[in-house]
Amino acid sequence: MKRAPDRGRPYTIVGIALLALMLFPVYWMVNASLQPTGSTLQGGWFPFHPDPSGYATALRDQGRNLVTSLVVALGSVALSLGLAAPAAYALARFNLRGTNLVLLGILITQMVPGIVVANALYSAYNELGLLNSYLGLILADSTAGIPFAIIIMCSFMRSIPREIIEAARVDGAGRLRVFRSVVLPVSTNALITAAVFTFLFTWSDFLFALTLTTTETVRPITLGVYQYIGAHTTDWNAIMATTVMASVPAAVLLVVAQRYVATAATDGATK
Amino acid sequence: MISPARPPARRIAALLTGTIVLALAATGCGGRTGAGSATGKVASITALDYYTDEPEHTQWGEMLTACGKTAGVKVEQTSVPGASLTPKVLQQASSRTLPDLLMLDNPDLQQIAQTGALTPLDEYGIDSSGYAEGILSAGTYKGELYGLAPNVSTIALFYNKDMLARAGVAVPRTWDELKAAAAELTRPGRYGIAVDANATFEGTWQFLPFLWSNGGDEKQLDTPQAAQALQLWVDLVKSGSMSKSVLNWTQADVHDQFVAGRTAMMINGPWRIPALNQDRNLHWGVAPIPVPRSGQTPVTPLGGEVWTVPQSPSKARQEKAAQVLTCLNDSSNMLTLAKQHFTVPSRTATAGRYAEQVPSMTAFAKSVEGARARTSELGAEWPKAATGIYTAIQSALTGEQTPEEALRHAQQIATSS
Amino acid sequence: MRSRSRPVADLSPILPRGTGQDDSAVAAGGRAAPRARLGERSAQWMFIVPAAAYLLLFFGYPIVKNVVMSFQQYTATTFYTGAAPFVGLQNYSDILSSDLFPKTLLTTVLFTAGSITGQFVLGLAFALFFRRRFPLGGVLRSLLLLPWLLPLVVSGTTWKWMLDPDTGVVNAALRSLHLSSSGIPWLTGTSQALLSVILINIWVGIPFNTAILYGGLQNIPPHVYEAAKLDGAGPLASFRHVTWPLLRPTVSVVLVLGVVYTVKVLDIILVVTGGGPADATETIATQSYELSFQQFDFGRGAAMSNVLIVISLAFAIVYLRADRRARTV
Repeated sequence: MKRAPDRGRPYTIVGIALLALMLFPVYWMVNASLQPTGSTLQGGWFPFHPDPSGYATALRDQGRNLVTSLVVALGSVALSLGLAAPAAYALARFNLRGTNLVLLGILITQMVPGIVVANALYSAYNELGLLNSYLGLILADSTAGIPFAIIIMCSFMRSIPREIIEAARVDGAGRLRVFRSVVLPVSTNALITAAVFTFLFTWSDFLFALTLTTTETVRPITLGVYQYIGAHTTDWNAIMATTVMASVPAAVLLVVAQRYVATAATDGATK
Repeated sequence: MISPARPPARRIAALLTGTIVLALAATGCGGRTGAGSATGKVASITALDYYTDEPEHTQWGEMLTACGKTAGVKVEQTSVPGASLTPKVLQQASSRTLPDLLMLDNPDLQQIAQTGALTPLDEYGIDSSGYAEGILSAGTYKGELYGLAPNVSTIALFYNKDMLARAGVAVPRTWDELKAAAAELTRPGRYGIAVDANATFEGTWQFLPFLWSNGGDEKQLDTPQAAQALQLWVDLVKSGSMSKSVLNWTQADVHDQFVAGRTAMMINGPWRIPALNQDRNLHWGVAPIPVPRSGQTPVTPLGGEVWTVPQSPSKARQEKAAQVLTCLNDSSNMLTLAKQHFTVPSRTATAGRYAEQVPSMTAFAKSVEGARARTSELGAEWPKAATGIYTAIQSALTGEQTPEEALRHAQQIATSS
Repeated sequence: MRSRSRPVADLSPILPRGTGQDDSAVAAGGRAAPRARLGERSAQWMFIVPAAAYLLLFFGYPIVKNVVMSFQQYTATTFYTGAAPFVGLQNYSDILSSDLFPKTLLTTVLFTAGSITGQFVLGLAFALFFRRRFPLGGVLRSLLLLPWLLPLVVSGTTWKWMLDPDTGVVNAALRSLHLSSSGIPWLTGTSQALLSVILINIWVGIPFNTAILYGGLQNIPPHVYEAAKLDGAGPLASFRHVTWPLLRPTVSVVLVLGVVYTVKVLDIILVVTGGGPADATETIATQSYELSFQQFDFGRGAAMSNVLIVISLAFAIVYLRADRRARTV
């Protein structure tokens, strides 16, 4: 009998080929970002003479927008976890009447098109002075993160052994203390998963950036890229350098938090 | 916190804030203000424009500062990108935080004036004599003048001198010559001509010289004259002399294609000249847009930004803003701005002097004289006609409809409610 | 489909299952006085109230506001004067009777159906492929998630540039392989542009479909296959009679969720084609955006997006039914 790895080798080759095909656009983006200025209208198949000038231009023009995206994304992670964790705990562990109503609400959120939220928020934000503000974007962007975080954490907290919580309660810990010092620590994995995804949702948000900001003061990187395409078409390498920089968080999180990303994709949807 | 019942409360709050600001200004807390009379001194005013690109931004900033000095105020300039100017203005209008001096692209003026956010300029005794007819009509809404432009521009035909010389092609003057020249100049990897035919008002703007020069009119789009003009663009694409990608190109893209040598001719505006001059290897020339038959004069659309004085609780600030506006429109300032940006002074007499001083701008100065404002016939209804026109361009160039069908549809869009 | 924006499919994990997870029995020490229980209850509610309030403000309020706006003449002028007169069903009759609407609706349907079919079929193929164990399989499978994690604007921008008819790499490849001499007008032909946005959306959606279907496949116990093998079933028969029936619940979740997410896709279309050329890629979602934020006609924009909600809701009902059926099976 042959060794197992040998039998799998053709599959590995096919797998790599398939992946190369799927990830070609990502390669092409990186390739374009390293081409010298101006020549990219044609562009070569390989950046034989990598030119970092695209990145220099991109950093100069879009550096601030990257920071904006980072601030908004982190703010949204904090808000989403802060609101979703207690709610998830309550939905998972307390038998409250009305729980079903909240769950129905969460289900409905999945069907509401972002444009509906944006439409109404524009006029409300206008009255409240929240257009072009970090707070406004964080609040709006969390519409993707909060329902998702509730569901991920709820399904996890349901699986926490009952004994742990009971032991703490018998020791006289209040509800809040049980939550803080027992439930949260054992739920670290779910918290990280929820945080990673909330971060990515907000980082990639385009709709709210497009509709709820009208000036340069608070401009996320996604909108920066979009407006770049319209205004600076000679600098395709700079545009592509910006898109590469905007992709960094996704790539980094895929590598660093791979475990959480992969399980959320499957668990969140099918468990 | 967000409730539909909020607006009235908010408005009261805004009103209160306005009153407080006024009170502060009156009591001298608002900076270097004098004694609190109705005509009390104003230390600074705000201005909003869309000149975000350098060197334009700085040049306008300097001009505003200089004009502020003559009026005795400091002008605080804010620039937002063109696409976000209208949203910004609407947002400020609703929160009553409009700037004291506001720049608008001329076809947008009537739409904004319609909302009631602007004040008529004759309240300030501004002299509007000697201006070209087109630009005055663009600044007028319901018989009142709301905005004045120091300088104006239009579009023309730019060509690559080397490419034309090598192909032995003369600069086209008529539509037939244009078609022949474009075909002659087309090579693998290079098109004869590029225009902006995208689905925005920019696409409409580039089509207008062809429509108008042939006797077409935005009031009635389903005419043979309009169809012939559209057919010209369709023919250019069909024969391969013009890329089908014009459907997606902006004027900036068209410029890039020209600079990259991927097109031998293009339709564009003089504000591209500083960028064209940066490339030393590019030898370009400019000519009027070709006309249907030789001997005709092209009718081009009038471009340019008008300055307005929005509604404000402070009469004194409005007076100051009006003084700055008058200064911007002063003949010598017009001339300075025109030279900086390769545009044309909007007073006919000044434009004549300018053409003498800057001969390369003669083609533009001439075109501007007869240039037509987009809103002169339809006023605030223009955006609908403009939408109809670019929709027709898109349908015809993709081959979805014949020019006649496309324009019939355009006429429906233009006249719908 | 942008399932990625909320990869949440089945609520069954959080539906109360009566597994005795309520810890109030412990808290109340067996039998509690009614008042203490009341205090206990309100203390419990405090965990939910912030999130519930958020959901009400950012989903409940917009829905209500949107419905109200759709009956108003809510335009640029409204922002200055504050006046938004009620116009009854005028906005709805305007958008539904416009000659663009049937075309937009058809485009929305084609876009959704095309995207879902493509990403499901390919996603299933990938999932079946990765089910086999082979060296680097796990690594390759997680790298496959990258297209799904990238911001849509980034993917759209890259694809737009790759598909450029004159200078894009796709046409360059087709020309050098002599598959097409003039190249395909990916972004400038009306039917090709629609095909392009569908293809891009499929590319974005494959990883998500693969991940979920892979999870579903993993849940099928291996002994079922062994039994089928003993009965002499080939790979095709075993897929038809074992894999597919057991995967059905997962499949219905993937498909219906896919529809709900895909009908509202906006980013890809705005970035790649902007709805053009000649409105060929204009969907209900992009129309709603344009009405509200390009033309500042918030009344009609709201009406248009309500049409979108109705479509989503119709599919949601299908989803709930399918889900219930799947669970009772």
